[in-house]
Amino acid sequence: MTALFWLGLVAAVLPWWLATPAGSLTDTADLLTAGGRITGLIAGYLLLVQVLAMSRLGVLERSLGGERISRLHRDLGATLLVAVLTHMSLLVVGYARQERNSVFGEVGTLLSDYEDMVSAFVAAGVMVLVGVTAVRGVRRRLPYELWYVLHLTSYLTLLLGYAHQFSNGAQLYEPGPVRTGWIAAYLLVVAALLWGRVIAPLAFNLRHRLRVADVVAESPDTISIYLTGHRLNQIDMLGGQYFRWRFLNPGCWWESHPFSVSAAANDRWLRLTVKVVGKHTAELRDLTPGTRAWAEGPFGTFTAAHRTRERALLIAGGSGIAPLRAMLEELPPGAALIYRARQPADVLLHRELDWLAQARQTSVWYVIGRRDDPGPRQVMNPEGLRRLVPDLTRRDVYLCGPGGLVDESVKVLRAAGVPRRQIHLTAFEL
Amino acid sequence: MRRAFLAITGLAAGTTALVVLKGGPGAGPATAQELPAAQAPVVPGGSPAPGGAAATPSAAAPSVSATPGASAKPSAKPSADRKPASRSSTRTSTSTPAAPRTTTKAPKPTTRTVTGSSVSYKYGSLQVRITLSGSRIVDATATGMPLGGQSGQRSDDVQARYSGSSGEVVAKQSANLSTVSGATYTSTAYKQSLQSALDKA
Repeated sequence: MTALFWLGLVAAVLPWWLATPAGSLTDTADLLTAGGRITGLIAGYLLLVQVLAMSRLGVLERSLGGERISRLHRDLGATLLVAVLTHMSLLVVGYARQERNSVFGEVGTLLSDYEDMVSAFVAAGVMVLVGVTAVRGVRRRLPYELWYVLHLTSYLTLLLGYAHQFSNGAQLYEPGPVRTGWIAAYLLVVAALLWGRVIAPLAFNLRHRLRVADVVAESPDTISIYLTGHRLNQIDMLGGQYFRWRFLNPGCWWESHPFSVSAAANDRWLRLTVKVVGKHTAELRDLTPGTRAWAEGPFGTFTAAHRTRERALLIAGGSGIAPLRAMLEELPPGAALIYRARQPADVLLHRELDWLAQARQTSVWYVIGRRDDPGPRQVMNPEGLRRLVPDLTRRDVYLCGPGGLVDESVKVLRAAGVPRRQIHLTAFEL
Repeated sequence: MRRAFLAITGLAAGTTALVVLKGGPGAGPATAQELPAAQAPVVPGGSPAPGGAAATPSAAAPSVSATPGASAKPSAKPSADRKPASRSSTRTSTSTPAAPRTTTKAPKPTTRTVTGSSVSYKYGSLQVRITLSGSRIVDATATGMPLGGQSGQRSDDVQARYSGSSGEVVAKQSANLSTVSGATYTSTAYKQSLQSALDKA
């Protein structure tokens, strides 16, 4: 996957390299323009990768996993924005020098005289807006709804930025293999997007027709949503995976959120266990039985099938128990579960866990209290973990919970000598 | 986020390297000055075929090429006489990533504020903002808490005990605060947000 990415990047810049004779860049304007072209090609390529990464294509979601994809999306997004801005500024300054024009005059010329440049500038503006609102500090201050709509507009950049590449792009203007290849790449990405976002979910939902059956309170701030549907036994799902859910009622239909399924696949129901933390999750409390649900998935590499060793240790924090609870059913006997919660009332699915512990010979420890209380302090260190699970280093460890707990546990596990490839995690934002 | 900076630096370095490599015979000597070690052996092979292969790693491995790109900047200034052209292109493309980089490194000696993640709790949500001088917390406050009524009273209690330059946060320099009685949810949320701010700081 990584090799493919770099290969694509080289392929994107290669046309420029081949078309530019050595020694042809003689003055400042030439150099600026060349830099602008290269960054333009890179930006065009990164935009396609960016959209592809978000296409929810089953292959990508299953091989990379949602966690890594979203990190990739964030890092690539920042790079893409910088590439686009560099592309713009280098070309504007380069052209301005060539034509002995002022920078602002050149922007005017570009907008009025060059084809498709208005839409390209709009695309860049959208990209800046999306980029700025994606910065964590800014994003937290915005209502989720606004952020979401703004972020959706980034698809516009694909459309708005498309034309200027071919009407003005030095490498793409002339018909030939380069232009054809570039268009083909666009078509492929759009096809992947359609497949992953529209066709595959449509097929899934027409086949299974999920509906809310019941909403049950698990604790004061956690609910379980039970869903029924057709042919549930044919859903190809592993414990620990998640779907992106859209509940089709007037308040919620336009928002989709990832929630893990909190019980292994069975032919009667699906269950999500969700902590109420925001506006959307609060609305889920009031879902009425019969509400249709639109699901995309299943996604994720956080499953028993991805382990490298026979046995496993699961560490859950708060509502992070959901995927682990589902996974427990698919792990061989002898697994161990450490469940961290702030207070006894925060322990979810208590009875099921005890029942599973007996049925599947799983050791379960509830570690209650804040991070600095004596109980958690005794357990959450290398010696403490080794005392509970002596064969720690020969197990796969699955972590799910608030970011702080996950980070801390990874540190402790690494200190206890658990190899990195045996640690699997999904962190969720609080 | 580190990877994003690496990628951006790589982008700048890669683009600069490509432009400079194609810069032609006139730019030859200037090139050798500007990009030391990593790029120097590549320059002699100016023909497209071997050059194309050589350009690949510089664009493809941001972490490696990042160093010569960054070191090209300071060395570019003294050699200003001959080739202003290639210099200005180096500057433009590296200056963009350099700006955010300084914000992560520079602020150590001066005061700075760090905002914790927004934490929702029973009565609303809050966000703790701390002011640090060096690594010492000198001030703290929580924003976004409910104002009126019973929950407002709790907000005030917690704020009064924890926040401010003489509050418990500054006194203890950690998120290990004693819970304000009668305001457990609020205290817990405060500590949580504070911890996230400390993790970030």
